[in-house]
Amino acid sequence: MSATEENSATEKDSATENSSADEQDLGPEGMTRRQLLRHTAWFGSAVVLTVVGGEVISHVATPDAVAVPPEDPNALRFAQISDSHLGFKGAANTAVEDSFAAAIRQINALPQRPDFVVHTGDLTHLSTPAQFDQVKQMMGELRTGKVLTVPGEHDSVDDTGQKYRQAFGAGSRGDGWYSFDLRGVHFIALVNTLSLEKLGHLGADQIEFVRTDVAGLSSDTPIVVFSHIPLFAMYPAWGWGTDDAAAVLNLLRRFASVTCLNGHVHQLFTKTEGNVTFHSATTTAYPLPPPGQGTAPAPVTLPAGKLKDALGIREVTYRKGSGLLAVKDVRLA
Amino acid sequence: MSAATITRFALALCLAVSGYVHAELYVNGYRVIPVIGESFRWQAGASFALALLVLLADPPVLRFAAAGLMAGALGGFALSRTTGLFGFTEHGWQPAPQALVSVVVEVVALALLALPVLFAAHGRRA
Repeated sequence: MSATEENSATEKDSATENSSADEQDLGPEGMTRRQLLRHTAWFGSAVVLTVVGGEVISHVATPDAVAVPPEDPNALRFAQISDSHLGFKGAANTAVEDSFAAAIRQINALPQRPDFVVHTGDLTHLSTPAQFDQVKQMMGELRTGKVLTVPGEHDSVDDTGQKYRQAFGAGSRGDGWYSFDLRGVHFIALVNTLSLEKLGHLGADQIEFVRTDVAGLSSDTPIVVFSHIPLFAMYPAWGWGTDDAAAVLNLLRRFASVTCLNGHVHQLFTKTEGNVTFHSATTTAYPLPPPGQGTAPAPVTLPAGKLKDALGIREVTYRKGSGLLAVKDVRLA
Repeated sequence: MSAATITRFALALCLAVSGYVHAELYVNGYRVIPVIGESFRWQAGASFALALLVLLADPPVLRFAAAGLMAGALGGFALSRTTGLFGFTEHGWQPAPQALVSVVVEVVALALLALPVLFAAHGRRA
């Protein structure tokens, strides 16, 4: 039966039902039982086909598996923590050291040891030697292959990042930027907090570093970029953006998959622009308001017991050939 | 072929195109975005399902479902460009051309769904 014939048959059935409606039980909506059954059947068909379609699309996207199997020894795994602000004293979090310790314990309790842990800046609150000592000591307790960092503006309060580089700058170039390869993924760690006025700033030297760094890479190499301040214009009025990020992002346009992970904004935020996906991480210290809510990005004091819901860590996994990194944000336990 | 049949086929086409755009975005990157990725997948699945069923028949329950789906997709698009949706924002007509294509077919689908209602209301007044 063609669709047109089926439809006209449906219309005839409907007419017959209407003419004999008086002879049948009418429901509360004035619908006969047969009409109710027919609507239910159509709706049920739509639901079943939706589920089938959704599963097919999921399979097309990740033909081998929806997620990285936990036992896959070749998968890349790393964790991101951000904005620990050791030394912060305020009502928004009266014990930032305890929160940071909880984040470290949570990473150490992951079922698979991460290949590395990256801290995306504002390790300290005021860049004092004691705060750097404390954060370095605490991060030394992480059970991971390597601990990586990028500086936040709080890590270079009075010395353009000298104390930061003494503590964490080994092997980096320029003002602390670097890159490396791991399990088929190319990582670039950028510094956009040293010469900022309102927005983050990378500078010509760092842009040139990225240009030469990616020149020899094939376009199907997954790229991951770490920075403290977002490389996208999240909320420029509060300085949540980087004024010359476009120069770097243009250099990364040819790559199939680019993932930018940042801190600074103390809240989860995700957006996609073409081949680039940006993920802002939350903090281990204290929340900031959503963009534009209030006059300034000042620490937010949450009701008792709610703080941990705003803090967290991020787990990232990648299996070669799957194209994209899987990003999972987890609240602080 | 009657005008009603042509309208139904056009509606099925709009639903299928909207589903294709969301499925393509899901496959090519949006699937990693929390909440948004999954909502794109189910939007695509529902759009394909309704496109197929609308080709077979035209019961009101499918029209309501299609209207809800298209209005929901347009609402999500508007929120993602204003207040943000589950922490997700985009600007203007990015990603191009998918953003423009999906908005056009969703608006056309809603117009096609509204036509019989408007005609019926006009007929009652006449």
